[in-house]
Amino acid sequence: MTISLILNGEDVSAKVRSVDRLADLLRDTFHLIGLRSDCRCGRCGRCLVFLDGRLVPSCIIPAFAARGKEVVTIEGYAQTEDYADVKAGFADAGVSTCGFCEESKIMAAGALLERRPRPTPREILEQMSSAPCRCTDPDAIVKAVLAASDRRARRLYRRAGQ
Amino acid sequence: MVYVATVRSPSARGSIRSIRFPRLPAGYRSILPADIPGRNRIQSFGAEVPILAHDKVSYAGEPVALIAGPDPVLLEELAAATKVTCDEEEPYLNWESFSSDQVAVKRVAVVGDPDLAFSIAASVFEESYTSGAIEHYYSEPQGAAAAYDYDKIAVWSATQWPYHVRDSVALALGCRAEEVSVRPTRLGVHLDGKLWYPSLLACHAAIASIACGRPAKIVLTREEDFRFSPKRARSSVNVRAALGSSGLLSAMDVRIAINVGAYGPLAEEIVSQAVLACTGAYACPNLRVEGYAVVTNTLPAGAFGGLGASHSLFAVEAHANRMAAAAGEDPADWKSRNVLRKGSPLLTGEPMGEEVPYEAILSSLAAASDYRRKYACYELVRKRRSGRSDGPLRGIGLSFAYQGAGPFLSGDASNSYTVEATLDKDLKVRILTSAAGGAGLVMDVWRQSAAQILGVEIESVSIAVPDTDQVPDSGPSTLSRNVSVINRLVVRACEAVQKRRFRDPLPLTARSVYRVPKPIKWEGGQVSGSPFDTAAWAGAVVEVELDSWTMEPKPLGIWLCVDGGQVVSPERAAASLRSGVADALGACLCERFSPSEAAAPGSAYFRYGLLPLQALPPISIAFLPQGRRAPVKGIGELPFDTVPAAFLSALSQAADSSFSCLPVPYARIFGALETP
Repeated sequence: MTISLILNGEDVSAKVRSVDRLADLLRDTFHLIGLRSDCRCGRCGRCLVFLDGRLVPSCIIPAFAARGKEVVTIEGYAQTEDYADVKAGFADAGVSTCGFCEESKIMAAGALLERRPRPTPREILEQMSSAPCRCTDPDAIVKAVLAASDRRARRLYRRAGQ
Repeated sequence: MVYVATVRSPSARGSIRSIRFPRLPAGYRSILPADIPGRNRIQSFGAEVPILAHDKVSYAGEPVALIAGPDPVLLEELAAATKVTCDEEEPYLNWESFSSDQVAVKRVAVVGDPDLAFSIAASVFEESYTSGAIEHYYSEPQGAAAAYDYDKIAVWSATQWPYHVRDSVALALGCRAEEVSVRPTRLGVHLDGKLWYPSLLACHAAIASIACGRPAKIVLTREEDFRFSPKRARSSVNVRAALGSSGLLSAMDVRIAINVGAYGPLAEEIVSQAVLACTGAYACPNLRVEGYAVVTNTLPAGAFGGLGASHSLFAVEAHANRMAAAAGEDPADWKSRNVLRKGSPLLTGEPMGEEVPYEAILSSLAAASDYRRKYACYELVRKRRSGRSDGPLRGIGLSFAYQGAGPFLSGDASNSYTVEATLDKDLKVRILTSAAGGAGLVMDVWRQSAAQILGVEIESVSIAVPDTDQVPDSGPSTLSRNVSVINRLVVRACEAVQKRRFRDPLPLTARSVYRVPKPIKWEGGQVSGSPFDTAAWAGAVVEVELDSWTMEPKPLGIWLCVDGGQVVSPERAAASLRSGVADALGACLCERFSPSEAAAPGSAYFRYGLLPLQALPPISIAFLPQGRRAPVKGIGELPFDTVPAAFLSALSQAADSSFSCLPVPYARIFGALETP
């Protein structure tokens, strides 16, 4: 079947089979390789995308389920101001990742800040457990998300004042 | 390009009777051992692993054939539809008690007269400590790709040991090593799980590429990786220790059995390191130690955050805590009395070359964690407690250990290793080493060493991509070798460049070669040589509380104090140690599975997971202050050497019971508290 969707802000369409997963569609058809499809059961968090604003593991979402919906991958999210806040927060806190989990951690942090602009350390750790990785330094990740929260709040405050 | 799927053995042990493939569509082909143009073997530390099992299979999930084709989804279905029939034999699964057929490597060492010392000892304590298998849970699953690149075959692999991949592929293809070019890809957190296994997958990809005449790629899914890739070896360490009338450790009798799974690809190194670390941080004048690498029909098992010492260090630390507790003494005092001093003889007869910073580490830990007061309080509560509802179920444990850094101890890895440094006309420095792929934070140490010697900015120093066509062979990249061996070579190469700098025109290149100064020799019961070049020391305190309803252990705090010599970037080193502590704690609490069950589809994989971040307690990391001239030491393995023993002691105190295995089954904790 052919489906249409909004992918990173653009209207696109693609032919999909019933067995195709959203992660495969994004990687193989649209060559969006910022996400990976490692576990194929929604556990490793390497394939997180926003589907109509909700953070989901795209490896367990059938490709046809994205029909008519808005999908944002890390490539699209990287064009947003929210991404810039989170990325800067990670840099402020000196987060050093293995390089494989960074995109998922940024997406997870962004989703949390959207839902809870001032999260507690526990909420941060719970959210970041959706992108498990042996490289995670818990102290640094909490500092990073709090720093991103501050940056985001300042930006929104400035915008409200304009 | 073609993808490659693996057909695996359904039996743990037996002879292959037949392999029946389904009808393969056009463009797909099967690959059997007969299709391997060269040798059907990978060599690793003296052991040999078949690339595709030929007549015999030695573990469930062992690769017996490959299918190559353009569609990975269809390939998965074709591999699942292939029927492998075996004449099954009774598999070897026992390893704590084993037959002589199962011994892959045996190491024995005797020092002094242990029998006499035991006969006159004031007290003797004996206990067996077991530690379980751990999945490496790398950042990404294993995989490899291969393709012809003009007159060479190029291999892309995330490996700690590019030259091992190159030599293995050359052997499998029956070509010269120079005809294979290995281009390592990003490695992530590997915890020594990508030492030899990437070579196997690289061989699969290269053979498929040759057979199909097209580029070939094999990538394991995370479930496949969990079920069939090597794990940390399980171990059982029996420690019998004698104390003299003055409370000094007078003799030890240690028996180590390490389950290295099928083929035992790292057996020699692991058992050697475990034997040499069997007295831990303590001086013992009379000692008998026997170490066995036991082969079983389970997944090949081996290294995890170190190559074997952690098995012994865990057992001896837990035993020291047990002996101190039995004598009604604070373990900190027991350790203070028995710890190695400068000049104390090591197992090999070599004197301890440096002062052991036990007192400094203890005082730092005690100040940060309030260890001494808490230990005394929890002991008082434990002794007066009448039941599990009587007061908080808390405990605190202390452990002290080292991370030795130096060359490998076993045979084929003790070749010479080379690093090259080049100073270009624009004063940019390039370091060439094949160990760069797995080095992580250690690369900052190399860059700083080079910058200091050559008087350039650290930003001017770059580490070359470890392509085997470009960089010299620096041996495998492991946490401890990268600091001790490779950093020393970087320093020497840069010094050689600096000497010629104002006499010869730029660019200048120098190579530095390392040869093992005093290789370890095992002769009869005697062992000689230097077990390590440098040692970093650390102490850990772990505080635990048991939930009074669920009996679930909840860590309240972890404190780690490290004497790591000169620490180039304390923030990044602390971050790395904190994630190491989290991993070590996860191995104590929740990362449990049996490798014999792991190969079965589903359940073990879905149950297994890292410790959720919100379950972590506050983790405090401190470094002992060091001068600028202090040597650089490897510290990455220290959390795995210290945290498990401290956790076990804390848990034992909290539950008022003596546990001796990790992870401790909840039923056993519950049972201990139910017993009046």
